Amino acid sequence: MAPGFNIQPYGIQSMLKEGHKHLSGLDEAVLKNIDACKQLSTITRTSLGPNGMNKMVINHLDKLFVTNDAATIVNELEVQHPAAKVLVLAGKAQQEEIGDGANLTISFAGEILQGAEELIRMGLHPSEIISGYTKAINKTIEILDELVEKGSETMDVRDKEQVISRMRAAVASKQFGQEDTICSLVADACIQVCPKNPANFNVDNVRVAKLLGGGLHNSTVVRGMVLKSDTVGTIKRIEKAKVAVFAGGVDTSATETKGTVLIHTAEQLENYSKTEEAKVEELIKAVAESGAKVVVSGGSCRLFSNYKFLIYRLMVLKISSKFELRRFCRTTGAVAMLKLGQPNPDDLGYVDSVSVEEIGGVRVTIVKNEEGGNSVATVVLRGSTDSILDDLERAVDDGVNTYKAMCRDSRTVPGAAATEIELAKRVKEFSFKETGLDQYAIAKFAESFEMVPRTLSENAGLNAMEIISSLYAEHASGNTKVGIDLEEGVCKDVSTIGVWDLHVTKFFALKYAADAACTVLRVDQIIMAKPAGGPRREQPAAGMDDD
Amino acid sequence: MSLRVLNPNAEVLNKSAALHMNINAAKGLQDVLKTNLGPKGTIKMLVGGAGDIKLTKDGNTLLKEMQIQNPTAIMIARTAVAQDDISGDGTTSTVIFIGELMKQSERYIDEGMHPRVLVDGFEIAKKATLQFLEKFKTPVVMGDEPDKEILKMVARTTVRTKLYESLADKLTDIIVNAVLCIRKPEEAIDLFMVEIMHMRHKFDVDTRLVEGLVLDHGSRHPDMKRRAENCYILTCNVSLEYEKSEINAGFFYSNAEQREAMVAAERRSVDERVKKIIELKNKVCSGNDSNFVVINQKGIDPPSLDMLAREGIIALRRAKRRNMERLVLACGGEAVNSVDDLTPECLGWAGLVYEHVLGEEKYTFVENVKNPSSCTILIKGPNDHTIAQIKDAVRDGLRAVKNTIEDESVVLGAGAFEVAARQYLINEVKKTVQGVIQNLMSSNYVLFFNYHLHILMVMLINSKQRAQLGVEAFADALLVVLKTLAENSGLDTQDVIIALTGEHDRGNVVGLSQNTGEPIDPQMEGIFDNYSVKRQIINSGPVIASQLLLVDEVIRAGRNMRKPT
Repeated sequence: MAPGFNIQPYGIQSMLKEGHKHLSGLDEAVLKNIDACKQLSTITRTSLGPNGMNKMVINHLDKLFVTNDAATIVNELEVQHPAAKVLVLAGKAQQEEIGDGANLTISFAGEILQGAEELIRMGLHPSEIISGYTKAINKTIEILDELVEKGSETMDVRDKEQVISRMRAAVASKQFGQEDTICSLVADACIQVCPKNPANFNVDNVRVAKLLGGGLHNSTVVRGMVLKSDTVGTIKRIEKAKVAVFAGGVDTSATETKGTVLIHTAEQLENYSKTEEAKVEELIKAVAESGAKVVVSGGSCRLFSNYKFLIYRLMVLKISSKFELRRFCRTTGAVAMLKLGQPNPDDLGYVDSVSVEEIGGVRVTIVKNEEGGNSVATVVLRGSTDSILDDLERAVDDGVNTYKAMCRDSRTVPGAAATEIELAKRVKEFSFKETGLDQYAIAKFAESFEMVPRTLSENAGLNAMEIISSLYAEHASGNTKVGIDLEEGVCKDVSTIGVWDLHVTKFFALKYAADAACTVLRVDQIIMAKPAGGPRREQPAAGMDDD
Repeated sequence: MSLRVLNPNAEVLNKSAALHMNINAAKGLQDVLKTNLGPKGTIKMLVGGAGDIKLTKDGNTLLKEMQIQNPTAIMIARTAVAQDDISGDGTTSTVIFIGELMKQSERYIDEGMHPRVLVDGFEIAKKATLQFLEKFKTPVVMGDEPDKEILKMVARTTVRTKLYESLADKLTDIIVNAVLCIRKPEEAIDLFMVEIMHMRHKFDVDTRLVEGLVLDHGSRHPDMKRRAENCYILTCNVSLEYEKSEINAGFFYSNAEQREAMVAAERRSVDERVKKIIELKNKVCSGNDSNFVVINQKGIDPPSLDMLAREGIIALRRAKRRNMERLVLACGGEAVNSVDDLTPECLGWAGLVYEHVLGEEKYTFVENVKNPSSCTILIKGPNDHTIAQIKDAVRDGLRAVKNTIEDESVVLGAGAFEVAARQYLINEVKKTVQGVIQNLMSSNYVLFFNYHLHILMVMLINSKQRAQLGVEAFADALLVVLKTLAENSGLDTQDVIIALTGEHDRGNVVGLSQNTGEPIDPQMEGIFDNYSVKRQIINSGPVIASQLLLVDEVIRAGRNMRKPT
């Protein structure tokens, strides 16, 4: 029986289905929302920057993550609170757009929301805060454009030095201390696969193969692909060979309609098998005659086909993933054929070498193609545990994404909190010129930038107040590029320590953060439906893999 | 006792209890939606059962998603949804107007007035207001070239109530251009010819109008071009894949050669069709650098795709049926259902066709078309809830522009109409109420109740001018829109009303400025509402309010006895 039928119903609660929750007003909705977002950003904040702490997250499938990559953390946390979810979505958007800077997005949004809370307690209306924040972010973006390092607009994306200088900060924030090794691996791989027009750089062309064992220093870059499988036949090594790729599998063609073989006698059966075999042999012969030495199958390889391949000294590889097969085609320049038959000479690809090697107890097939321009490169990562490998992979992914971003927009801004302090200073100055109530919001927005140097130094165990005040002092005297040198714990000109951030990363991170914060502030009522039924996530159903 | 004849589990509310329940429910719903009205309204966050977020200001969306259970509230919500179906906007206004009518009536009922008298007053006031609306509306001449400025103003007024200002202004241009693009003289506007496509990408302000079409899928062959210029577009609905016959057929063969032959035979008819297309391509594309694009509503299987790819043709399969219509409108040519009589005349043309990949999703853009009469609004936004919000706003904006073109008139917004109507009712209509009722008596409406005519006459004489109070309640209820607008902007309601009514009495038609709280001229500010929206509100509001007021008993059926509970 619906509540409130007999009694005089009033207000929204009585009108909704049972189990609905309804929160409204400043105290109940806005401040609670801010609180949730603050808590979320407190979680991610300690992972910001090179000295950020790792988090151990165990997700609903009991999979363990050890990481300081904010995108992964919030993804696996399964945030329930709707407002905090808005922040998570902003972080995800950043991750999808740029591939880095998710932590900055979430932490900064949390920080400006905290500022908003103080303003609300002071008596400002959320709409004034929103208008102030909107003005502030627009100003910030203007200033950010001014802060772009001169000469960074153009870069040679094939110059390793320049690439590394831009990538370092992003990778260092994930794997501090190993950034040089990783950067050089990633830069090598990226430069190899960079197409003629760098803007068309495809992240998918840099692959990561994780192999347990060894250490980071054993990691290498392979021009080509590393397949985590063995070849089908006995030929394990082949060099300078042509490749034929069959997407549909190496098999005889079959009709769509169900076919039945009409056999009356045993003889016919034998004959049938023979004709079948002869057909296959004919096909394989045709392949071999076309000059191909390696045959790649996208589907099934019927066993009996294999010894025929052996006769013609053909190497057989099986790649069952469609995407992997496409990548293979890109690597070798082959065109995938649908049916087994004589390939066109144009459809054949070329590899320098295909070899099966055993690395760390796993048999892998290494496909190398040195000449391919727009082909695929693989970073082979080595590490002692799965979680280390996963974390390394995320660092590499961030590096590759940074490369993609810099291919499109190579402008850089000073890193190591130098930009943030400069922004804080200038936005603050801007707020003094405003006359309306929103000047408080702008000032708060400016102060929020301090979060970055404060967190960086706190995470590094430095005295945050001291650092910030000396940064302000330096910036006031016109040294706009002074940031924190975390190793020595002093303020230094970033051009001497070479910490640069990409302009686009900062731009998107700040904008997404401000957008998310304004969205949270705009909400004054939350209506929550009763959580849907179904099996509880905490107790996975029996038989579910723990991955 | 009436309870005896009912199921013992049934609940009954009588007389004043029933009335108060209705009034309270209406007021409750009004309270919920009140904060959403107008450009300064706040956003509500709806959290679904699965934890999905929806942010909205749109009354219609809210009412749909809120899962209301109270019977009275459901009735009001339905009226509002009907409002949305008819005019696409004004749902929030409807709900708060009904709520306010009930609230005003409550006062009189508490003083002992019979609801019937109020309802009579509502009826008179409704008629008068509708007549007044006819006089008050600003006619707009549409002709061949509609006045873009007026359309923009109407769209802006609508969209600004759904989204924040800078985004709303951007959308305004997009919406108006989209509607003008699909508008054909002498034909009703089919808003479905504006495709609304979304991409989770970049920022909300990157939303744009594509003169052409955006499809949410890409070619399925890795070797097809990702980008092509000067394209001939073949829009077809031809199956390019092997289809099993209806009858249960099978092959019998006794050696592999025979089987091979079967395979070839099976594919032949499909191959023939593909070859016809290739032939046409060679006919139109040989000797120039143009490209050929096939967009098929049915499937294209991998062997056919492969054949097409080898000829350099871009092929898209399984397009939406609606998109086939749009494509023809956008690119020209015609949709073909058979490849037998392909001629170059069937082909459309687009300057640029390219594929855009976002993670897993693929999008195909067909752009730079000649004289399109279909277009796409490409919504971008960093996350799903932003996109959903923009989508709702765009839909309402499109409807608003369409309404304006069809109504050929607009109504001054910012509360100006409501204040003017109220003053008209109070100053002019109220005094003439008795006369109006007598007029009414001769109309068909009363003749229908011929049988009760005598009783009615007696009642009317008794009530005399009491229906005036109904008119007054109606007039006061009209002000609620203005009051709420003021309230949401943080202004003093009383000040605003006094200022505005004062101006109106002096003969100036003014509205409320949300920023300053001062009276403004809506015409100067470019704040216009739809005529049909206002008319629908005035029509449906009093009807539902009257129905609710005349309820004197609510009976709810008990649970089914046979099922043990």
